[in-house]
Amino acid sequence: MTKITENITALICSLLVLITGAIVVLYTSETGFLLHGWLMIFFSAWAVLTVVRRMNRPLEPKSLEYNDEVIKWGVLGCLFWGIIGFTVGDVLAWQLAYPDLNGDLPWTNFGRIRPIHTTAVIFGFAGNALMSTSFYVVQRTSRARLAGGYLGWLVFGGYNLFVLLAVTGYPLGITQGREYAEPEWYADILLLIVWLGYFWIYMRTLARRTEPHIYVANWYYLAFIVVIAMLHIVNNLVVPFGLEYTKSYSLFSGVQDAMTQWWYGHNAAGFFLTAGFLGMVYYFLPKAANRPIYSYRMSIVGFWGITFLYLWVGSHHLHYTALPDWVQILGMTMSVILIVPSWASVFNAILTLNGAWDKVRTDPAIRFMMVAVLFYGLTTFEGSFMAIKPVNSLSHYTDWTIGHVHAGALGWVAFITFGSMYKMVPWIWKRDGVYSIRLEAWHFWLALTGTFIYVGAMWNSGITQSLMWQTYDGEGNFLYSFMDSVDAMHGYYIARAIGGLLYLIGALIGAYNIYMTVQGPRKAPQQSNNLPVAAGE
Amino acid sequence: MIHDEVLVFSKTWGALYLFVVFFAAVIWIYWPSKRKGYDDAAKWPLREDDKPCK
Ligand code: HEM
Ligand code: HEM
Repeated sequence: MTKITENITALICSLLVLITGAIVVLYTSETGFLLHGWLMIFFSAWAVLTVVRRMNRPLEPKSLEYNDEVIKWGVLGCLFWGIIGFTVGDVLAWQLAYPDLNGDLPWTNFGRIRPIHTTAVIFGFAGNALMSTSFYVVQRTSRARLAGGYLGWLVFGGYNLFVLLAVTGYPLGITQGREYAEPEWYADILLLIVWLGYFWIYMRTLARRTEPHIYVANWYYLAFIVVIAMLHIVNNLVVPFGLEYTKSYSLFSGVQDAMTQWWYGHNAAGFFLTAGFLGMVYYFLPKAANRPIYSYRMSIVGFWGITFLYLWVGSHHLHYTALPDWVQILGMTMSVILIVPSWASVFNAILTLNGAWDKVRTDPAIRFMMVAVLFYGLTTFEGSFMAIKPVNSLSHYTDWTIGHVHAGALGWVAFITFGSMYKMVPWIWKRDGVYSIRLEAWHFWLALTGTFIYVGAMWNSGITQSLMWQTYDGEGNFLYSFMDSVDAMHGYYIARAIGGLLYLIGALIGAYNIYMTVQGPRKAPQQSNNLPVAAGE
Repeated sequence: MIHDEVLVFSKTWGALYLFVVFFAAVIWIYWPSKRKGYDDAAKWPLREDDKPCK
């Protein structure tokens, strides 16, 4: 794209959002929709102003450097949503221990702020981490500047507007009621457009690569982008009640609706919370340890294994439901097989570190990555186990699931993100290193302790719940009432909330450390900067 | 019923298709003459960056 068409495209896109926002504000009678209309106007007006101001500037020569500016904003978005998400998560944790903390208001009730937590951590924190690192990795491994100039900004801005619309809607009751796909139809359309832009940038950059082969990390990122697009479209096939209303109805009904939702739900775990982060592992871990991947070919086989198998396993979320039995058994079988490619990645990563153990000891970032991989191994083992029907009859509806989720979320997703960020931030801001290794180590130990407390408490409470619910007396009556099991949870919930607090404090220290790194002095300039071969379009 | 038919089709023929493609991919990846290309690719992340490439 030339600079002119680029400017005009950016302007048109921003104006479209602006007009949509204005129409919403004019026609809706819902408070929540009105707020969202204004948010759209505010965001897009700012984008329009920025573009117009840029248009007045003289044309700059084609840049020969990697485009790291958008990535910097992605890092900011990741930290911002991360801190919001962890804080809200800990509030939830305290609410479960002390229900009075729900404030007795509709807006602060557990059910309404729970999706704020899940959306802020998954889409806000993890999503921005994936987007920013993927832009970094695709440029370096292709040795080409990011395609599409302004488009990167629109993707980043539009994506964060989506997250903002989502989390501000929940307290006001705007939700589709589909877990991890709560945002309503208009936000979904925004995300779809943004995602197509993201896909386009990624493909264009790859197409301009100066290497014959596409480095494996890009495969994983690309699988994440493509599969999420597919899931997002199918699971959000809805009919809006009316264009001036937020409410919509799903095209599917009954058990088919449930199956579609959990096909989406598990692949969100598989491709949002796994595939993209494996891409991160395959780039940042070898880079940080300065050793090539132990078996490059195994990483590719693992890729195909994961992409093929994940798409089958969604039905393990619907064991013992109206779903046909054979679909349940199939989901269970595929889930058990899934352990093989998952552990292949674990061994591959750990064997890559073999020979660099001194770095694991001295460099907290590498330690973050190593622990992340170990937690990945733990979570996938646990997942395959929980997918076996009789085991699931114990774990389902209990805190065991919550323990599984957070072993993956805290131990795997967030650890690999922190490890990669501690490496990438000094690289993109051209600093010598992180501001303080000691603070980095503090972050590591706080996060690790927090995770252990959280996961340990949930395992205990989960098993306790399932045992209490399945204990019968001689006549076959329940021995415990439901309230008994709720009482028994109190101690575990307090422990979990404390674990979460430690985790949050660790993350705050991390954010401070990264802030100070950015504020610190630049690296002494080098003779030649890292220039991509294929320059900007 | 459409949904059920699609489901059955994709979960039977789809499974077969994916397994065949998977094994084809494995053979492709482990084909002995391809070894060198992959070994080189594994080193990419280590070598680029901060060095000029032109
Ligand atoms: C300070 C850290 C965190 C705390 C204290 C925390 C706390 C919580 C709590 C209390 C719940 C509700 C559990 C229930 O309904 O019984 C929850 C759910 C959830 N959290 Fe977190 N969380 C934290 C970090 C994260 C992170 C980093 C992620 C993802 C990357 C995450 C993903 C989720 C998901 C997916 C659920 C829904 C689980 C389900 O429905 O099975 N959390 N969290
Ligand atoms: C081999 C890999 C895995 C398998 C077979 C697996 C299997 C399972 C099973 C059986 C459940 C419980 C379903 C239920 O009883 O309702 C579950 C829940 C969950 N898993 Fe995994 N898991 C795997 C890996 C992961 C990873 C790496 C993550 C990433 C963080 C993850 C995130 C989740 C989430 C968020 C849920 C809760 C869904 C909900 O009910 O809201 N899983 N998984």
